[in-house]
Amino acid sequence: MNKDNKMRLCLFWFPPGSHPGGWRMQDAIAAAESDFKVYLDVARLAEAAKIDAIFFADTAAVQPVDLIEKGDPKAGLVYRGAAGLEPMSLLPALAVATERIGLIATATTTYNEPYHIARRFATIDQISGGRGGWNLVTSQTEAEAQNFGHDTHMEHDARYERAEEFFDVVAGLWDSWADDACIYDKTTAHCFDPTKVRLLNHSGRYFKVRGPLNVLRSPQGRPIVVQAGASGPGKSLAARVADCVFTAQSELADGKAFYDEVKTKAAQFGRRPEQVRIMPGIVPIIGRTDEEAQELRAQLLANITDDQALRSMYRIAGGLDLRKFPLNGPFPELPLSNGAQGRQKLLIEMARRENLSLIEAGRRFAEGQAHHIVCGSARTIADLMQTWFEHGACDGFALMPSYFPRGVRDIANQLVPELQRRGLFRTDYEGRTLRENLGLPRARSQFDT
Amino acid sequence: MTKTLHFGLFVYPGGHHLAGWRHPSVAVNGILGIEYYKRAAVSAERGLFDLYFVGDMLAAREREGRLVAEGALNNIDSISIDSAIATATRHIGVVATLSTTYNEPYAIAERFASLDHLSGGRAGWNIVTTANDDAALNFSRKGHMEKTLRYQRAKEFVDVCTKLWDSWADDALVGDHGSGRFADARKIRPVDHVGEFFSVKNSLTLPRPPQGWPVLVQAGGSPAGIDFAASVAEVIFTAQTKLEEALAFRQSVQTRMPKYGRDPESLRILPGLMPIIGDTEKSALRKEEELNELLHPAVGVWMLSEQLKFRLYDFPADAKLPTSDIRASGKDFTPRVISLLDRADAENLSIRQCGQLVAATRSHGSIVGTPEKIADHIASWFEAGAADGFNVMPPYFPSELDVFVDHVIPILQRRGLFRTAYEGTTLRDHLGLARPIRS
Repeated sequence: MNKDNKMRLCLFWFPPGSHPGGWRMQDAIAAAESDFKVYLDVARLAEAAKIDAIFFADTAAVQPVDLIEKGDPKAGLVYRGAAGLEPMSLLPALAVATERIGLIATATTTYNEPYHIARRFATIDQISGGRGGWNLVTSQTEAEAQNFGHDTHMEHDARYERAEEFFDVVAGLWDSWADDACIYDKTTAHCFDPTKVRLLNHSGRYFKVRGPLNVLRSPQGRPIVVQAGASGPGKSLAARVADCVFTAQSELADGKAFYDEVKTKAAQFGRRPEQVRIMPGIVPIIGRTDEEAQELRAQLLANITDDQALRSMYRIAGGLDLRKFPLNGPFPELPLSNGAQGRQKLLIEMARRENLSLIEAGRRFAEGQAHHIVCGSARTIADLMQTWFEHGACDGFALMPSYFPRGVRDIANQLVPELQRRGLFRTDYEGRTLRENLGLPRARSQFDT
Repeated sequence: MTKTLHFGLFVYPGGHHLAGWRHPSVAVNGILGIEYYKRAAVSAERGLFDLYFVGDMLAAREREGRLVAEGALNNIDSISIDSAIATATRHIGVVATLSTTYNEPYAIAERFASLDHLSGGRAGWNIVTTANDDAALNFSRKGHMEKTLRYQRAKEFVDVCTKLWDSWADDALVGDHGSGRFADARKIRPVDHVGEFFSVKNSLTLPRPPQGWPVLVQAGGSPAGIDFAASVAEVIFTAQTKLEEALAFRQSVQTRMPKYGRDPESLRILPGLMPIIGDTEKSALRKEEELNELLHPAVGVWMLSEQLKFRLYDFPADAKLPTSDIRASGKDFTPRVISLLDRADAENLSIRQCGQLVAATRSHGSIVGTPEKIADHIASWFEAGAADGFNVMPPYFPSELDVFVDHVIPILQRRGLFRTAYEGTTLRDHLGLARPIRS
């Protein structure tokens, strides 16, 4: 729980919405992916609700690749989560159209160069006046690997080893310049003070980067760094470097265990526990009453086709073809996935615990992508959030709207006001930068004494 | 369609004259923020410019292990600037520079498709291969790629990008609530590209951009660059300063185009132009003199050394430019460098003078005079077929841009050489370029 007893909330906008049945609702805007106006509306609704940041995922491959490749018309039925605007290009456009909300984009360490990433996020931080954030991910699909000249994707542990070094290079580049390096002295003709810039001269296993960055130090010092890996190396990276951790537990005890583990690990890296904000993802399905919310959820679930349900488990099936198993039979044993080990474990546990059939588990997994679906009135959902927060299982939440516009509007107009009434969420932004609003100190650099 | 002039605005932190930021009218604390870029875009759009052009650098400017205390200090990411500008404007095209040597085609195709979608079809890509050797040191490379290889890579890179933009048919995204059909999978195809430099398997993550492809812009003047331009460029940003050279350049590109199955008319050539404008000839000349006096001599020598790839730091500044040593030191000089060396010989120019020359205009054409004189110059190049317009490079911002918009543009409009309103909505519309048909 945070010192000020206030939750921090991010809005995770995953077009066309985080519920796979959402876009088929009658009031949904279906083709919202490449329409900038939709993104802008989402950001403005979230800003009006005083949400800390809006956050965009990215996968550098279209899904489902194999069906598209085969020309299978079913591909169009299970298709989702692609067709969205590339977040690093999207953020600057949103930055000039908003004033206070934080802007976080996903960028992979697996298929990028640290110099580009350091530069682009410093740019976003400058353009937004200190509201930028980087969700640091490693790429886990073969589809992505095959778009970047590789046949298979990098093995899990090597990916994280690269990610660790990648972060160090990026952070080093962000620290190239002192905050007051730029002087623009018209009388001496000097733009900057040469004693206030350093080369990086990094030479490691994966990267060799001289620096300095050709972008001045950004308003936050360093943009916010978000991490979301639930595996061992993922948690370790999060504990060492992340300002925010997005996670996916759906049970309070699991959430609490994760929270304690990451905070303890962070302390081992010499960090104070409050320097890492842990935010589980929830997909709120909100009604005026609990019954209305249940009806809405039933409609959403019914919109998920069998194909979609099975396909959703593709990445965590460990290479098994799930179509070979009876849909109404028990959930099968899965070999260890090289893709997303944390997610796989959560799904298997849920299926065992609730005794779900394969297709039931598939629908539920497709529904939440192993994120936590929370269904009820704003009061019911706020009760749950309050319980998690007060039991020390989180510092806030990543809210994942089911679809647009209703899912976003219900969060902004019903859930947030309920949290505000309880004194659990701000009624106005405290600061100008994302760091200030998250209650995190400005990053120190090598030039600070 | 009647032929009309086309204008780009090349925005640059501090201004294109390297001492521009020291001009008394420039508020230095405003150079680095996004407002600076927005202010310039709003002026250019008021002037009905076709496009807004942003350059890109992949290393801080440096020599001998020390950064030089002048020049472009804060090179924020070009496509990010354009995304922000697209939101702050309604009509003007937004062109960003990105390197094919230090990027991957899938990521770049995604970024430009996004920019084209969010700007409603106003995106352009200035394709560069990165001439600055220092970039290699920031990208875990052993050395900078050799020029011929860079252009081979660039060709394949663009080829992959166009395949990716074409991977979705224009009507592939369906979003049919009732059937649950999100996309028509038969209208999405993987690119399955395997080449010398890249292998890229899948389709793009985004529907086909509104313009089909963003407008492809190119800026290299070397033989390899010309051939590359002939194969892909729809707009060329050039650096000719003489009309005959510009005519010869156009001809050399256009004669190569049919070889690549392209119509020579589908090309717009925009030389860079730095206008220094005064109410009278005399006041314009005084403005130029004032700017040159503000230029620190070390900046000129540095810029010259960079361009010639020849260390001049230890020579006395007033010595004659050692042209024969320079000629002997390298090969593969760009036409820009050759014309500078010729001029230094002909006019017996010192290192300091040459430094001033390159730093003042960054080797682009410069024209000093009244608005009428500038308009005459533009009209004469246009009517001779040496240029389809210009990429305008104000020596400093925003006042020199405003003077151009408020005093030069109206003259060209009165003469019927330039539009009086935007006629279309996309950058292709402004430039009179056809939307590529999906192959």
